[in-house]
Parts: sequence; structure tokens; C-alpha cells
Amino acid sequence: MTNLSGPSSSRPPPSADGRAPGALAAARALGARGTKRALAWQMARSLLRLGFSGTAAVLAGRLIMGSEIAAWMVPAPPLLLVLAALAGWVADRIQAETEAGVANGLREEALARLRALPARSVQAVPVGELLVGLQRHPESIAALVVGHRVARLMLALGPLAAAAAILGVSWQAALLVLGLTPVMIIFFAFIGDAIRRRAKAQEKALGRLAGQFADRIRTLPTILAHHALGAEEAKLRIRLDAYAGETMGVLRVAFLNAGVIDFFSSLSIAILAVFLGLGHLGLASIPGFSDLALWQSLFILMIAPEYFAPFRRYAEQYHAKAEGDAAADALDRLLEPAPPPAADLPHLDRIAGTIALPPGGLVAVSGASGSGKSTLLRRLAGLEPGIEAAPGLATVSWAATDSYVPDGDLGAAIAWGTDAPPEPSRLLLAAGQVGLLDDTLLPGGLGARVENGGGNLSGGQRLRIAIARALLTDRPVIADEPTAKLDPATAALVRDALRDMARSRLVLVATHDGALLRLADMTIHLDPADQPARESAS
Amino acid sequence: MTTLSAPPTEETSETGRPPKDSPWAAAILLALAALACGVLLAGLSAWFLGAVAIAGLSSAALTFNVHIPAALVRLFAIGRTAAKYGERLVGHKAALLDQARRRGNLFAAMARAPSVRRAGWQFGDQDRLADYLDDVEDMDFAKLRVDLPLLTVGAGALACLVATLLVAPLAILPIAALAAAIAALAARLAVAGQSTWDEVRRARREGSQRIGAAIAAALALQAEDAWSERLSSAFGPLARAEDRLLAMRRSFAALDAVAGLFGPLAGMAVMAAAWFAGERLDGLLVPAFLAFAWLALGETALGASKILVAALRRRAAAREIARWSGDATAEPRPEIASPRLTTLRLAGWQRLTPNHRPIGRPFAATFEAGRPTLLTGPSGCGKTSLLKQIAGWIGNDIADSRALVLLPGARRQLSVFCPHDAAILADTVRANLFAPKATDDAIRQALAAMELGARIDEAGGLDGWITQESLSLGERQRLNLARAWLSTRPLVLLDEPTEHLDPDQGARILDRLFEHLRDRIVILSSHRGTEEAGDRAIRL
Repeated sequence: MTNLSGPSSSRPPPSADGRAPGALAAARALGARGTKRALAWQMARSLLRLGFSGTAAVLAGRLIMGSEIAAWMVPAPPLLLVLAALAGWVADRIQAETEAGVANGLREEALARLRALPARSVQAVPVGELLVGLQRHPESIAALVVGHRVARLMLALGPLAAAAAILGVSWQAALLVLGLTPVMIIFFAFIGDAIRRRAKAQEKALGRLAGQFADRIRTLPTILAHHALGAEEAKLRIRLDAYAGETMGVLRVAFLNAGVIDFFSSLSIAILAVFLGLGHLGLASIPGFSDLALWQSLFILMIAPEYFAPFRRYAEQYHAKAEGDAAADALDRLLEPAPPPAADLPHLDRIAGTIALPPGGLVAVSGASGSGKSTLLRRLAGLEPGIEAAPGLATVSWAATDSYVPDGDLGAAIAWGTDAPPEPSRLLLAAGQVGLLDDTLLPGGLGARVENGGGNLSGGQRLRIAIARALLTDRPVIADEPTAKLDPATAALVRDALRDMARSRLVLVATHDGALLRLADMTIHLDPADQPARESAS
Repeated sequence: MTTLSAPPTEETSETGRPPKDSPWAAAILLALAALACGVLLAGLSAWFLGAVAIAGLSSAALTFNVHIPAALVRLFAIGRTAAKYGERLVGHKAALLDQARRRGNLFAAMARAPSVRRAGWQFGDQDRLADYLDDVEDMDFAKLRVDLPLLTVGAGALACLVATLLVAPLAILPIAALAAAIAALAARLAVAGQSTWDEVRRARREGSQRIGAAIAAALALQAEDAWSERLSSAFGPLARAEDRLLAMRRSFAALDAVAGLFGPLAGMAVMAAAWFAGERLDGLLVPAFLAFAWLALGETALGASKILVAALRRRAAAREIARWSGDATAEPRPEIASPRLTTLRLAGWQRLTPNHRPIGRPFAATFEAGRPTLLTGPSGCGKTSLLKQIAGWIGNDIADSRALVLLPGARRQLSVFCPHDAAILADTVRANLFAPKATDDAIRQALAAMELGARIDEAGGLDGWITQESLSLGERQRLNLARAWLSTRPLVLLDEPTEHLDPDQGARILDRLFEHLRDRIVILSSHRGTEEAGDRAIRL
């Protein structure tokens, strides 16, 4: 239990059904210690608060009745009150820290799982959903396993402590408060059932209505393009109103939950006040409520609400449970993307062992589209699940339209990932060699602004940045259709750059560009029509 | 020569639709009633117990009217429960009605923002959309989470203060000092919290962007053995956001602790002040009433930090939302009669890059009905931008058609523009085709021509519900083309219409579409080259 040396080092135990532990189990393990500490301080707060209520009742009762007041009675209530506040402060801080630790731990777990995924599986991850999830899910799960759990445990301990305190004064009063609880719980169960039934009936209507605003914002350009703004706006207003109406139907029942707690909490005060009052007057002889001093009845009156407070705090968290569970499911699902369908390319399997790549030179993979050119490149680079990279190709320069581009300027984008910062003159030369310095679409030379991921660049520009980067290293180069999206002049520059690099290292390209094929030292032609691949040297 | 521009804007200021029947007033009343009942219940109970205890000492017990206070105690108990339920219900009703109205207005305002028609619609990204929705939600419920509780607690505190002034004036000093200290702390936390919250938002945004960029380049990064390192550093901002958020929560915990002291300390101050003023026995009953009232009021101050957080979020959300819809320009609503266009001539147009920078030499072309024209060129050469310029979405270029001068606003009305990243509305198939006047037969014919008939039957027919996710990329593209098929506008602009379709199917479908639209001016773009039918091609 005390192995929490760091979020990433504490591996959660495997769950009972033998599957990989899910986010929920991981979160529980991460938060176990902090939750216990938070609970302990929360309990301390509760007890100190009971102490305050008790001593304040004693003091007030004795003041009013003019009885003797011991010296300790005066400083006790404010002291206990401040101590309770301090304990509550510590509990809140520990809870916040634990939740942050759990959230960070879950993100690290997600990072570790993403890092271990093969590229093809990464490409199957729904990115938008993942980005939304990484921001929000860990916090929802943390709130469930820490905050919600503390509230639930306090639900068991808090009322017990309050009942015990009342027991010290009048066991009959304690019994009355305790006796109300099963009735309350029956109401709870009853209402919970009604909520579920109601929610189920409205789920379909709500589900469709709920996302309408988001959906119409998302599709706004399409709506404008088709002149449907007026109609869609009118429809949206109607649906939003309908959604509000449907939601109210659910809330009417859902709020009964809190209403029940309020009712019993108020009712208990009312019953106790009247019973205790009659007892004081001596008009009625109610066992346990007669012959009490004023401080005793005030004590009971002040503690009774504390009995119900944990119920209220728990009820306030009713959505945390559903939200946290859903978040845990979603996170698990996101990080276990369905493995991409294995490409059915028997002719590639056949030549798998037969390709002998030379240590240098330009090797071109050709073939009709769909013949597996890109798949072959990925296999040779070791990017397909379960396939080792070809000798020497474990770390290459990869040039494609989806090459990585960090944010900053063009110079930094080209220099990214090279072992040492290149000399400015070499950088300039490399950029010029692929036509990036006089690109009318990217003015500004090496200082041209580049967004993260190259969002403001075309695929062709990203590819040329990757080629310029390759020029600055001496790694083997793999390029996927390097000239397909380029205009003829730039394509010629890229061909020259590839040819240039092929003098000192292996340059492997997949292409259907005839001009590039003619430059190749060796060509691997892929033909799915069941014939072995031809290798030809030129 | 007539100039066909968009008709003058009709100022449709629906946005101000005043919420006459808004239940906020009722919600406030109920909230005040609930608070009053709770405070009075606590005070009266304490007073009652004290009074009967004192009466019980003497023969006054026999004449003490126990029924009225007992009945009032029950009344307040029931009243508190009922008013609290009513407050929750009516408050949410008011917030939900506000939400419906606000979102309707927001949608209309967003539609008028010029950014909608520019390149790259940010809210097509799921994570940007989710952030935006969080902001909208923060705004929707801010009244319920901030204004209503502040108003109620404020009114309750004021009432108790006045009562304190009458009953135990000396107690005012410590109470006011404590209240001032809490207010000062809250103000300080609000200032610090705002910059922290802004930082959190920035860091999250940055993290999302970096992770997104890394995942998009996963293949290249893994080939270059840089995947692990890049992804780890992309996660950095998210951890930083969490740390900043934690710092904020830790400092806010202090506010809750101090705010929790307020009610009890105020109550004790009242009792002490009365005692030192020489009140004894009966004289202490009213101060006890007030002390317990303060105690009950203090219970409601326990959520102080939640209110502050909701206020901070509202401020940040309002600023962000205004950024999107703030630059809204009025968009003409009324439709203009569409003349039959047979030619469209552009002369001396300055073409734009995707980033709206000028590119290339002045551009001129004439397009004719029945002769679909293909725009080709390498990626990034501004094909989509030119289509948008022709559609009147960007730029201020002027085109003409015989004797008619067509300003951008008019072209916007006369054209249908099918963007390449076709978006599907979560709605019925029929609603997705944007052809309210088309007959079922016409719609079915369009779907059949786009080879979607079977797929749509499978989805439940014309009134089946479809979503972006329920259709494949190719199916979305074909539905997009079915929209063009059913459009009655004289100018049809198709951006990359065969993307995500296999070449044979693309050619087949385009042939049918061109045949159907032979009386319209059709302009399409493709990066693939000229092999895709089309009578004419212009290389940019």
C-alpha cells in the first residue's frame, strides 16, 4: 500500500478477470494512499466539528440558563471550530493532490501505452476523441476514485459518529435519528428506480437532441454552403427547446433525491425540537426527552443536521459516478484501438526474405496503386506489427507528406531531429536544394512561419522539409511517393536531391514517377498478379 | 448593365428576444424562501428550546403556548424542503430556457462570423469543438452557479446583519471584519485564479496540438526513432496544466476553510456581545435565535470556492466565445430570385493561397453552362481558395455574366459550394440533402445516381437518422454530391469531388452528375490531374 514512489512506477495489479487492468483499477491503485489520508482528515474534521457543536451547545445552554460555566467551556468551541476548519483544509488539499496525482498517473499510463503502439495502430486511434479524452477523462476518473470514494466512505462513518454523539446524551434521540435512516433509504431506492426508468424512456429522445447544438456548430460551413441557415436555425431552436423540456422531465425526478434528504433532515429537527420542548415544559413524559438540561437538548438539535450532512454531500456527487465510469471505459477503448486489418498481400510475403538491399544507391519500388508499395516500405522500416526492420533501416530519415514538422520557423523545422544543430550555410543549402527558399507559397526563406504539425503547409511542403532534413544527416532515406504532389520543376529538384543522397547511402523510394524510376540503381517491381517481384539493376 | 449585389441587410435582431416569461424571478424568490426557512428553522428551534427550558423552571410552564412555535417549526421544516426542491427545479428550468435561447442566438451569430467561410473550420476538429462546448456550458449555467447563490447568501447575510445591529450591535465589528477578510481573500484568489486558469487553458490547448501533430506523423516519427521522445514531450503541457490546476485548488481550499468559519463565529460573536451587554436568561433568547440563524446561514457558505471557480470559468468562456462570434457581420437573409446564368466571366482576379496571401498573376477565365471546368494544380496552389472566391466566400472580386455584374454576396446566393471535407449533420437523410422542395422520387433518383440507394435503405430510408460517424468517407462524399445534384442554384462548385472514391466509381458518378447539371455552370477542383472527364481543364 505504500509503494507509491511515483505515479509511473506503481503498476496496478491485474484485475480479477485476467484482462489488462483498466484505467479504473489503475486509478484506484494510484489514489489508494491519498484517499485514505484524505478520508482520515475528513473524519478528523467531522469529529472536531461535532466537538464544536457539542461544546457550543453546552456553552449556549449554560449561558441562557445562567448556570455555572467552567473555564474550559469558553475557549473550547472557537478552538474546535478553527481546528475543524484546519482539518477540512488539509483534507481538501490532500484530496486535490491525490486527484491530480491520479490524473497525471493516468496520463502517463496513456502515454506509455501510446508509445508502445505500432504506427499502424496509432493511425487507427480516433485522434479528436483521444485529445478530448486525454484532457477530461483522467480528471473524471480521479474525481470518482478519490472525491466520490471519500464521500461514500464518509456516508458510512459520518452519520455513525453523529449518532454516537447524540447517544451520549439521549439514546432515545439517537434511536429516533437512526430510525429515520432506513425509511430514507427506502425512499432513495424507490426514487433511484423511478429515475432509471424515466431516464431510459427519455434516453433516445435526449440522446439525439443533446448533441444538436454541437453538431450544427461543427457543420456550420456545410449548412452555409447549402443555404440552409434559416431552416437549420429554426429547427435548432425548436430542438433546443424540446431538449430543455425533456431534461426538465428527468430533473423533476432526479431532484427528488436531494429533496428526500432535505425532508428528513428538516423533519428530524422539527420532531426533535417539539419533543425536547415538551420535555422541558414537563407537560409530557417522553422517555429520553424529559429531564434534560437545555445544553443537552441544544446539543441534540445541533448534532442532528450533522447526521444528515454526509448524505447531502454524497447526493451532490451523484453524477461523478456515472461520469467517472464512462470516462474509464472511454479511455480504455481509446487506448486499445482495433488493430488495422492486415493487408492481404501474398506477393509481399513471398518476397519477404528475397529482397537484398544494397548498402547505398537509389532503390525504387514500383507497381500499380494497391500493389503494396507503401506496405513494403513500412515492412522494411520495421513499422508493421511483428516485423523486424531490414538491416540498417531501424533508424532512417522518412520523407512523406505526413512527416513531422514542429512549430517555429522553416529553419527550425528543417533542423529538427538532426543530431547536432547544422551550420547555417548547410541549412540554407539544403533548403535551397528542394526549392523551399524561393517557394511563392511559403515566403520568408528560413524565417517563414511554420505551425505545429505543419498545419499551414501543404503535403508537398512537409515532404520537402523532410528531404531537406535528410540532406543534413547521413541516415538511409525512405521516401513514399516523393514527387507525386509536386509541380514539375520542384519534382525535378527533389529527384536531384534523392539522387545526390544516393551517392553516399541507401535511398529507398516508392514511386510511380517514370523520371524517378529511370534514375534508380535498382527497381523492385510489385505485381499482385501472383508473379514474383522482379528485381532489375540498371 | 445591372449590378446584382446582395439585397440590403435586414437587421434581424432576434438576439434580443427578451425572456419575458423567464422563471428567474421565481427561482430567486424560491431560493430566498428556502434560505429564510432554513435560517428561521434553526433560530426558532433554539429560541423555542430556551424559552420552554426557562418556562419549565417555574409555573409559567402551564401557561406557555407551545402550539404556535411548534407549528412554526413544522412549517419552516416543510417549507425549507419544498422551497429547496422548487429552487432547484425552477433554477434549472430558467437556466435551461436561457441555454436554449442563448445557443440558438450563438449559432446565428457564429453563422455570421466571417471565419466560418475562411479556410479550415476549427470546430470540425473534435477537440476544438469540445473546448468550445465547455465554454458555452460554463456560460449557460453561470447564473445558476454564481449569481443565484451569491444573491441568496448576500440577502441572507444582510438580513442577519440588520438583525444583529438591533439585537447585539457590538457583534457587528468582528462579523464585519471577518466578512471583509473573506471578501479580500476571495478577491485575491480571483485575480490569481484568473491568470492560472488562462494558463491551464493555454497549456491544454498546446498539449492537444502537440499530441495531435505527433500522432499525425506517427509513421515518420517511428521510422526515425523519435516517436517516444516526441510523444513524451507533447504530453508535457498537459501535466503542466494539471499542476497549475492543483495549485489553484490548493489555494482555493483555504477560502472554503475560512468561509466555513463565518457562520459559527458570527453566531458566537452575537452570544458574546449580548452576554457582555448584560443580557441574561430571557434576554438571551433572542440573541440565541440570531446566533443559530447565523449558524444555519454559514452552512450555505461552504461552497464558496465552487462559486469562485464558476465565476472564473464564466469570464474566460465569455472572452473566448466573443472571440469567435464577435467579428460577426450581418449576413443577408432574404433570398433573391435566381436568374439563369449561362456564363460566368472573371477578369483580373488576384488568386489567394490557403492562407489568403496573394499568389500568381492576375487570373481570368470564362465558364459556361454545360461545360464543366476542372481546376488542377499541385497541392497548396489555391484551388479551394479560387472556388471560394468564385462562390463569394472570400475576397471582394467582381464577376460578370453577360450584362449582369455579380458581387460576392450575389454569387453566394447563386452558387452551391460542396467543400471537400463533407460534413454530415446528425439528422435524417432528407434533412441532410438540403432540398426541402424536392419530391421523394427526385431524392431517390439523386441517391441512386450517386450509388447510395442501398446504403440509405439500410440506414432507414429517407427519414432514417444518420451521423458523421455512421457513414464511410466515400459515402459522405457521395452524399455531398447528391446535395449538388438536388441543388437548384445555377452555379455549382465542387471541391475535390472524387476524393475518397475509387477512380472508376468517381468517373461514373461525375459523368452522371455533369449530365444532370448540363444547364448549370459547374466548376470542380482536383489535384489528380486531367484524366477525370471534364470538358475543360485549367492548370493553376
